[in-house]
Amino acid sequence: MTFLIRHISTTADGRKIVRPTEIARDSITVGRAAENGIHLPDLAVTPEHARIEIVDNRRITVVATGGLPFEVDGRSVQRADIDSMKGAELRIGGHRLTVGQEDGKVTIAVERVEALSEASEDKDEARAFSLRGKLPGKRVSAWGFAILVLLAFLAVPIWSYASYKNVKERPERFHADESWSSGPLSLAHKSLEGDCQACHTQAFVAVRDTACIACHTDVHDHADPARLMQAKGEPGIGGALLTGVAAMFNRPEGRCVDCHTEHEGAGPMQPTADKFCTSCHDGLNARLTDATIEDATDFGKAHPQFRPAIMTVPGAHPKFQRISLDRKPTEDSGLKFPHKLHLSRTGGVARMAQTMKADHGFGDALACKDCHTPTADGVRFQPVNMEKDCAMCHSLAFEEIGGTLRTLRHGEPEQVIADLRAYYRSTGPSHPIALGGMARRRPGQYAQGQLYHAYFGAAAERPALAGDAIRAVFSKGGACYDCHVIAPPPSPISDNWRVLPVHQTMRYMHKGWFSHDAHKTETCESCHAAPKSDRASDLLLPGIETCRTCHGGPKAKADIPSGCALCHSYHADEGAPWVAKQGVAGQKITMNFQPMSVQAIDKH
Amino acid sequence: MATRATPGRVKGETLHDGFLRHRNFRWLKAALILSFVIILGYALIDVEPRHNGGSWYGYALGTIGALLILWLTVLGVRKRAMTPGRWSLKAWTSAHVYLGLSLIVIATLHAGFQFGWNVHTLAYGLMMLVILSGMFGIFVYATLPVALSNNREEMTQSQMLDAIRAIDRQLHDAAQPLVHAQAALVQACLDDDPFGGGIVRRLSGRYPGCATRLAQSEIRRVTALRPDTGVDPLERVDALLERKEAMLARLRRHLQLKALLEVWLYIHVPVTFALIAALSAHIISVFFYW
Repeated sequence: MTFLIRHISTTADGRKIVRPTEIARDSITVGRAAENGIHLPDLAVTPEHARIEIVDNRRITVVATGGLPFEVDGRSVQRADIDSMKGAELRIGGHRLTVGQEDGKVTIAVERVEALSEASEDKDEARAFSLRGKLPGKRVSAWGFAILVLLAFLAVPIWSYASYKNVKERPERFHADESWSSGPLSLAHKSLEGDCQACHTQAFVAVRDTACIACHTDVHDHADPARLMQAKGEPGIGGALLTGVAAMFNRPEGRCVDCHTEHEGAGPMQPTADKFCTSCHDGLNARLTDATIEDATDFGKAHPQFRPAIMTVPGAHPKFQRISLDRKPTEDSGLKFPHKLHLSRTGGVARMAQTMKADHGFGDALACKDCHTPTADGVRFQPVNMEKDCAMCHSLAFEEIGGTLRTLRHGEPEQVIADLRAYYRSTGPSHPIALGGMARRRPGQYAQGQLYHAYFGAAAERPALAGDAIRAVFSKGGACYDCHVIAPPPSPISDNWRVLPVHQTMRYMHKGWFSHDAHKTETCESCHAAPKSDRASDLLLPGIETCRTCHGGPKAKADIPSGCALCHSYHADEGAPWVAKQGVAGQKITMNFQPMSVQAIDKH
Repeated sequence: MATRATPGRVKGETLHDGFLRHRNFRWLKAALILSFVIILGYALIDVEPRHNGGSWYGYALGTIGALLILWLTVLGVRKRAMTPGRWSLKAWTSAHVYLGLSLIVIATLHAGFQFGWNVHTLAYGLMMLVILSGMFGIFVYATLPVALSNNREEMTQSQMLDAIRAIDRQLHDAAQPLVHAQAALVQACLDDDPFGGGIVRRLSGRYPGCATRLAQSEIRRVTALRPDTGVDPLERVDALLERKEAMLARLRRHLQLKALLEVWLYIHVPVTFALIAALSAHIISVFFYW
């Protein structure tokens, strides 16, 4: 039998050259070695790779001889029987051997199908030398990233908005529109962190007051809204422009959120800025001509003198009036109390204080704290209490019985009068022994020194002594008169002595806030000129100049730059302004500061 | 001798002026003035309660920044049409670079230094990523072409590839007499794609397990103690492998430098589009929850 070997090679321009060789043998070898019947110059082929034997006029057998397999029609085998009439395709290394039969000869077409090396393969130079294929294409990744971002940060958040529209409260879990939050909510609103729609109720509509009022039901306006608008100054060119733009974008003015800005970070809510106050209060009187308050802008430079509410009419039905401290107002509290005398480091009061050091903790002279006790919150002082603060020196004792001192009742003149009368009446004069017994005596011996005088004389004098004592107590030099203003009885025979009511003002400045607790680092005398005051009617309130030694405007170089909100509340009530509250909270209970949610407060 | 102006050239402009020093740094100056004015405004304008994107100054800066980003993106369209003169592509590129850098100031002050885990900071972060990749691009454009040229030594890319192909052919022939184990080593060297390996290999220029190097070291183990008779096919293969290795080193350095010159655009361009998407989400979300 004969093999017809056709070596096929390809020229550079793709033309095929076939070189046929006939080998008249029954068996030929295939390998890299030159002596093989089919020489394959291929490093992937062993020197003697396989042997092809002719079995009969149709069948041939291929056996691997070098240990490495070969492929027949894609299968890797060590041995294969092939019907040459039907043909087959062998693959050895990078060569393809196509088996067939022609004119009774077994034909084997040998062709190199793999490039000689990886580098020898066709390369698209622009692609091979660039990063194309090494990284995702720019166009693909641009679209990919953009679509991903739009889905995650626009479509899904809008979907979560839409799905919770008209739902009163969202369930507690992550909602996609939280990724729109520009910053954490303040502590007070922390529970609303995941519930954007609690405030942003409608899409493309700026937060309205109705959202705030839904929870803050008891907030009252600063003033009548119409007057508020009237009080507001005309904006400048820039302001008008801003207002115009805001109106164009549907952001009305005067909303709660104008001042109460949110998303400014966890922690207490930011204090409102002074600008919101001064936009009305700077030049307010020119716009609101009937306003009773004065213009104010910067505490350090343009703030009116304080106008405490001073009792102008004392008595049971007192009247109060706000008077500027510049007018040096006085106030009749109903007491006679010279501070100078009591605080003097020399003299009787100081001497007395020294003798009572052990019992009452006095120093070498009296100090403010010896009589004035702060309230529990430290903000103000309790009214001076006679029994507690004065009576250690100003004793009302009038009799000692079995070691117990009987005192006149303070604050109840009628009881004082009754007690004194009772004192002079209660025990009659002792009955002289000479008046006892059954002895008969002559009447008429009533004159002084005579028998009956010792008893009846004394008995007759008792009521009159009580009257004197009462008069003495209520008159100059008496225990009541020393400190109080006394109204004498309308007629000499009447007992109706009256003590004018005492009024001790707890809070003079109702429009502003002052906490003594926040000023503990100062001495009392640094603000209150008590040691120099020799009249009880002196109003010892310090004026604004005293405050300004430390406090200045918010932008001032003062020790304590102070905004309006340090002393004033927009939604004013009896309590401290918000900033002052935060200051106290910050100093005292920072660690335990756990504000209740609005809902929790409502439940309480 | 008097110099005569070249017709068609703007006075004072030389052909060697790159986009960075275009017109004596005109756009650098413009960007610096813009940034300075914005910083000054930030320091002097007292917005309450504090600077952020929600104040009027913040909105103004945000509008400027967004429009600037869109204009900067248009360079991608503009660069496909080269024109000379005042609005030349070079001038445009110069403005792109310097105004793009001034975005750092505009956007940071727009945000008022408030950052968080939200879509707003995402847009900011993407913008910074685009700017940083652009800065890297300028850096490599300014420094690497010299290295690229030195490495090539006047060879073109095709010449480099052809050189390797020639060595491969010679290797193939020279290795024919080798026993199978050694032939397999050479075959592995031939099968190794000089352009293979991922992005990390490209950028680092490190190819551990290089088949050429492996083949050479294995063959040298065999030939080490033999005298060089001049007829040993292994010696010839060894010499060819050494030549291939040198050629590969040059090619790989070339690929590394080209990769460094290109890679920033694979961040700069796609992230720009991600940025525009995030910017849209940022703006829409602000007005949505207004």
